[in-house]
Amino acid sequence: MATDGVAAPTAVRSRPAWIEGLVGQLLALLASLGIAVLAGSLLIVAYGENPLDVYSSILEASMGSADGIGYVLAIATPLIFAALAVAVCFKGGLFNIGVEGQYLVAMVTAAWAEIELGFLPGPILVVVVLLAAMLGGMIWAAVPGILKVKTGAHEVVTTIMMNGIAVSLVAWAINFPLKFSNAPAGQNVDLRTDQFPDNGLVGDIGQYFDVTPGAHLSWLLFLAIAAAIIVWFLIRRTRLGFEARAVGASPGSARAGGVSIGGTQLRLFLISGALAGLVGMQQILADRGHLPQNYIVALGFTGIAVAFLGQNNAIGIIFAAILWGVLSRGEVALQIQSEVPREFIIILQGILILSVVITYQIAKRRLAARQLQRAGAAGELEDSAGPDDDAGPRGPEMKGREAFEAAEGSGT
Amino acid sequence: MPFTDIAVALQISFTYFTIIYLTGLGGLFSERSGIVNIGLEGLMIIGTVTGAFGARFFTDTLELGLPWGPILGLLFGALCGAIFAGVHAVATISFRVDHIVSGVVINLVAVGLARFLSYAFFNGQSTQSDPGGPHLDRLDIPLLSSIPGGIDRAFQSLSPMVLVAAFMVVPVWYALNRLRWGLRLRSCGENPEATRSLGVSVPLYRYQGVLLSGAFAGLSGAFLASEVIGNWREGQTLGLGFIALAALILSNWNPIRLMFFAWLFGFAVAIPLRLNDAPIISALPPQFIRMIPYVVTIVAIAGFVGRVRPPAAAGKAYEGGGGV
Repeated sequence: MATDGVAAPTAVRSRPAWIEGLVGQLLALLASLGIAVLAGSLLIVAYGENPLDVYSSILEASMGSADGIGYVLAIATPLIFAALAVAVCFKGGLFNIGVEGQYLVAMVTAAWAEIELGFLPGPILVVVVLLAAMLGGMIWAAVPGILKVKTGAHEVVTTIMMNGIAVSLVAWAINFPLKFSNAPAGQNVDLRTDQFPDNGLVGDIGQYFDVTPGAHLSWLLFLAIAAAIIVWFLIRRTRLGFEARAVGASPGSARAGGVSIGGTQLRLFLISGALAGLVGMQQILADRGHLPQNYIVALGFTGIAVAFLGQNNAIGIIFAAILWGVLSRGEVALQIQSEVPREFIIILQGILILSVVITYQIAKRRLAARQLQRAGAAGELEDSAGPDDDAGPRGPEMKGREAFEAAEGSGT
Repeated sequence: MPFTDIAVALQISFTYFTIIYLTGLGGLFSERSGIVNIGLEGLMIIGTVTGAFGARFFTDTLELGLPWGPILGLLFGALCGAIFAGVHAVATISFRVDHIVSGVVINLVAVGLARFLSYAFFNGQSTQSDPGGPHLDRLDIPLLSSIPGGIDRAFQSLSPMVLVAAFMVVPVWYALNRLRWGLRLRSCGENPEATRSLGVSVPLYRYQGVLLSGAFAGLSGAFLASEVIGNWREGQTLGLGFIALAALILSNWNPIRLMFFAWLFGFAVAIPLRLNDAPIISALPPQFIRMIPYVVTIVAIAGFVGRVRPPAAAGKAYEGGGGV
């Protein structure tokens, strides 16, 4: 779309495609936030409360104190990993809805490492456990990845089925090989693993920020943020990231350009699985200290929602996860002092994610249509475009990059 | 091992057949029209909570009694399933959102919406309703239920809905293969451009397909909650919506074959419940048997045995008309 600086008389304006894309995404996000807040307000009024009061109490509960922020960040931690896992695959045109199963299996491999290798000294044990979790996630992601590459089996179907298997696998693990050997008195009914050794748990960082230990804010948060930065770098600045985006945007051109589609997709699945493996760690290493039967489920699916909300952008995902955490933590406010039931929050999150999906789709189509229109206009206006417009300060290779991003924007 | 155990396992398998088959038929209508629906589980969840409420509301609150109360309850579940499927229809057909994305969102939102509805329906209980809700009288299937030798047990005290589901194959097959409506619906899923060129509105048929899928999945959920369990409980669908999806894929989107796979997976669900002492099975942990439907589906989809072929246009956005 070499239209930079074209002095267009009509609707054709000069803005780089990536800015246009970003603005479109932001507008879509704001619009869907607006829709969710508005729909939520109607619901609150139906319950006979003042929307402003309810919203401010939600914000107060989640952002108004160090404890609140601690809880929000602790909720966000696993969601960042889950959403990154989804986004990595998405960049390559793959839909990994198996994050759910991958993190369940990873919790089993991590629990196994905790129990079998408990003799290792503290930091080493934690590192080994995290590696075991990543390995577990990778193994579970490798199956749909290999099947996709070798047989063409659609990854959506295979990952759904792998999720189903994973649920039973966790149930089997805590019933048989990892069943707790010395049950604490009075807990005989609960199915769970043994308590992990203390040196295998992730330290609480809440104490440094005046956050209550109840929030279980751990340094896994920093790991999650680091993972987001690594993923951003991987997608934007490495060869694999470039190939992934090429495959996601147009497999045909990628193949013609010499990219091994299968190899790229398999690598994306493995990276995604490794990230998915870390999803459950906040729960078992920072919060519970064992693998319980009633682990929080659906973190993987919630991660998909967070990835949409963050528009599959690694940095956007951090903010999306925090926003999700703010809403989730807001439940507390409703529970204590409102006629509005706490389930209202889930509805709000649901409306938000539905409208994000739809408005983002609309924005994408509008953008694509505009680019198409502008490409046409550029053809007509070719004569009026000055020579220095073509080789502007951004250089020709940046132009190619823009075109690629435009294709990516309209491709998925 | 006593023979009656097999009979009881069969009886349980008929119940699960009903759930899986009805949900699978829902998926069939949607995907045959060209809209992939992985939101079946979520549609079922809405069916469970609204069906449990409907059965109580029509039977007790409106004092309609048996059998009309439970019947209207089931239909209410189907209606609510269809309404909720409307979200998937609007997103995928009118706004052309990716079908998988929308289906994931449907599943996600359904869990929250079910809690919200439950809170409103059942006096602030957001994860379950009171047990022992009204249900249809159980019936014994004539002739089959009087076979001597213990196997009769399999055909006794079944919900009438089992028969409804089993005979549903007739109208569904007829509608899809003999009626103009069904042929058009299927052609929307195979080649929407050609269908449109014949003057058929593709979005119209796709809306019908998706709404039907919601109705069937909702009916199935309502059956599960009110007829099988007797109350609503969070998480009671246990992934049966995904098992239905698996059966649908293995059946090659064919309602007659779907009957077989729905029963087979229903039986797989029933084994750990009743046949734990049987030889071979007793050596296997019950969790492994629960994996069977998923493993079979992966093997089939990978093309190791036979080939499954989805409707050609399923999952692809259609640009022709009716959109925003």
